[in-house]
Amino acid sequence: MSHPRTGRALIAALAASMLVATACAGGTPSASAAPSTAATATAAASEKPQQGGRIVEGTISDIATMQPVLVNDTASGRITGLIYDGLVQQDAKTGEVKPKLASYTTSTDGLTYTFTINDKANWSDGKPIIAQDWLTAVTAVGKSATTVRKSTFQDVVGFNDLCAPASSQCKATASTISGVTIDPASPKKFSVKMTKVSCPAILDLGGATASPMPTQVFGKYLTATSKAADFDTAPENTNPTVFSGPFKFKEWRKGDQVILSKNDAYWQGSPNVDEYVYKVVANSTAITTGLKTGELTFGSIVAKDLADMQTVDSVKITKYQSLGYTFIGWNTASPTAVGLADKRVRQALAYGIDMDAVIKAVVFGEATKQVSHHVPVQWAYPSVALEAYKYDKAKADQLLKDAGWIKGADGILAKDGKKFNLTIATNSGNTERETLAQVAADQYKQLGINAVSKPEAFQGLVTKLTTGDQTLEATIIGWSLGGDPDPYQIWHSSQIPDPAKNVTGFGFTYFKDAALDKSIEQGRNPTDGNCSTAARKANYETFNKILNENQPYNFGYSNNVLAVSQKTLQNFAPASFSTIYNVHEWWIKK
Amino acid sequence: MRTFILRRLLFAIPTLIGISIITFVIVRLAPGDPIRLFTFGSRATNEDIEALRHLYGLDQPLPIQYLDWMLKLVHGDFGQSFIYHTDAAALFIQYIPNTLQLAVVALTIQLLVGVPLGVIAALKRGTWVDGFIRVFGVAGHAVPAFWLGLVLILFFAVQLKWLPSQGILTVGKDPWDFLDRLKHMLLPAYVLSLTGIANYSRLLRTETLEVLSQDFVRTAHAKGLNERTVMFVHALRNALIPVVTALGGILAGLIGGALVIEQVFSWPGIGRFTFAAAIAKDYPVIQAGVMISALLLVVSYILRDIAYAVVDPRIGVK
Repeated sequence: MSHPRTGRALIAALAASMLVATACAGGTPSASAAPSTAATATAAASEKPQQGGRIVEGTISDIATMQPVLVNDTASGRITGLIYDGLVQQDAKTGEVKPKLASYTTSTDGLTYTFTINDKANWSDGKPIIAQDWLTAVTAVGKSATTVRKSTFQDVVGFNDLCAPASSQCKATASTISGVTIDPASPKKFSVKMTKVSCPAILDLGGATASPMPTQVFGKYLTATSKAADFDTAPENTNPTVFSGPFKFKEWRKGDQVILSKNDAYWQGSPNVDEYVYKVVANSTAITTGLKTGELTFGSIVAKDLADMQTVDSVKITKYQSLGYTFIGWNTASPTAVGLADKRVRQALAYGIDMDAVIKAVVFGEATKQVSHHVPVQWAYPSVALEAYKYDKAKADQLLKDAGWIKGADGILAKDGKKFNLTIATNSGNTERETLAQVAADQYKQLGINAVSKPEAFQGLVTKLTTGDQTLEATIIGWSLGGDPDPYQIWHSSQIPDPAKNVTGFGFTYFKDAALDKSIEQGRNPTDGNCSTAARKANYETFNKILNENQPYNFGYSNNVLAVSQKTLQNFAPASFSTIYNVHEWWIKK
Repeated sequence: MRTFILRRLLFAIPTLIGISIITFVIVRLAPGDPIRLFTFGSRATNEDIEALRHLYGLDQPLPIQYLDWMLKLVHGDFGQSFIYHTDAAALFIQYIPNTLQLAVVALTIQLLVGVPLGVIAALKRGTWVDGFIRVFGVAGHAVPAFWLGLVLILFFAVQLKWLPSQGILTVGKDPWDFLDRLKHMLLPAYVLSLTGIANYSRLLRTETLEVLSQDFVRTAHAKGLNERTVMFVHALRNALIPVVTALGGILAGLIGGALVIEQVFSWPGIGRFTFAAAIAKDYPVIQAGVMISALLLVVSYILRDIAYAVVDPRIGVK
């Protein structure tokens, strides 16, 4: 195989889910991205949009499903985002939650959300979109055996009574969700009661993954006697028939393209273009080629192709920081690389690597050095100054010395007769990460650490990371941060894998800190019920300061997304949190 | 003839069982847990993951999993894809026509170009024509397909814009637009056929030379038959026998080659699909893919044996 890539292994979390491991170097970055305020405004803003034409988006992964309840990958999420609208959306640039299909209010105690679906909002078959349709989607999550989203609704009063099969969360005793009340006076209005205040809840309840589902289609798979498989294998999951989004499904030529046609009945107005085609190509090279030849209307390219693309007159390049980062995670509990347990050593590993030079070498300068969990485009990014860990080899040497690591005759650091060996693992086939591992190992060697890089299959690496395999000392992977900035799943101590207790999770640094836990909890479920941005931001400042000081990760860098579009495509303005938020306004200049 | 075919089919069964065991074991020996993989980054709890593992039968001991799979298999049930939640075999079969059309066109090119080249090389043995064909044959083997593919894309699609760079059809074209399909097929089919052209021309050259030196050819000449009759009626028919032998394995070769070609040209065929399934650890799809390919291969070998009988009068079939 010339290009071993991780294709479908590019597992994504969408708006409501929280994070994603981007496994693929050549992957088209997902919808989430941050703006560098590159000039995205189109000259054509004042022109009258021309009707017709076709948008062809280039991608490297085929979709798996068109059922939002079952979606667990970026590609499928793109298509469901085009054919189904969520109740709320995030501002494309700031990530702030805004109404979409519905307006909403929160009760003063923060426990009840009331949604009112837009009067104009109808399904493509003419029926109004009503509260019951949202309930259909949530019921489907409860009944499905293959969804991975049951925990998303666990704090909704009564959800756990409905959800099945019986587990520590689900009781499978009820056929309705007691916490959801549909206004008897208006089928478009409903309220959702929560068991506790949960700040990320609004996106869980109203985001794209909880888009209302047409009850007239899916209701029959969700009756009291339905089995999980009835819904999970419903033909409309792969061949949907009724839509709420700007486009309607037309055809899925597997492995090749998904063809959507405009939804004339779209509540925000019919799109200007006739068709939206999601074109699957083999790899990032094919995307670059397709953009050059004009076969693709838009797509994201990798940094190595940027210089080449800049010579093409027919395209426009929009650059923005991605909503995620690539990092080196230290196993602070490693029995073999014992040095990693010491904060000073981890700080030395931050000072001892010239990340700016690495960024130049690895991604041609198309990234920003990262020293905290949140990225600058998120509102949760701290306003307070953080230690920048500017490259300083002398400081690194001193910190290692302070920690008791002394160079032996062979030039290798040692402590208590034990040499400092360090294996940096990363997923093989991902050229960017393999290079990063190599460069990092080279730089750490200069500190006297016997560092080596070790590419491994992503599939195996994931299992090792999440199940507490202690053979990993350092691992390079990446997070793609989703809608809400809640970092619970990555950094809360409850997420640290413990094979003895059959606990798995993403806390594979084994870093634990009571103040860190508290800041995460308060940002997620504040005891005072205050979910305001300001209150949460204060908690995340504490959180990021602790991480910045303790360095359980070397936070690496946050890539630029390099979105390339044909100059004929107007109103295309991808931004931090979404690419397709205004797709119904896009048009093609003939 | 019927007993011959039946016996062949009977022999195929242990082969297929062997393949099923090897596939099953290899797929599961590769590192990583499929459920961990496709729930990575999601909010699935450990309990959700265990439930999924139970749903897909992955919590059972391997021999039980295997028997369960086989039991379903004999009923034509290949299981549900972990990723697509639909029938694994049906998914795989959808991609076969795409690979097959590429393979058929490539095979046609191989035979139409390779056979005459070999014969010409034999007839013009020792001349510059022979030398040229032989060098061409070596080059056909030596040039890596993915590299040639990329070069051709750069030249014909990016620079000249004569041919599309990737895919099977222009977006928006009718699937029955054969001209458009042919345009897309030209480059990948050419690259895919290259090794075959090299093989056949070399094979044919050797065989033709050998046959031409045999007694019956001399006899034919002596009988006063003209050169053309000797060549095409007597010599070529015999020289073609090894080509038929090679044809039996061609499916394997073309499918193997298609994996690379499909990746370079973004061709939505079984190679790219199975590769993606392997990366995603979609066990049912990988297993269905291998078993169906194996079945096709076995059938192609049986067809080859029948073709032998047709081409070579010396081989009888009982």
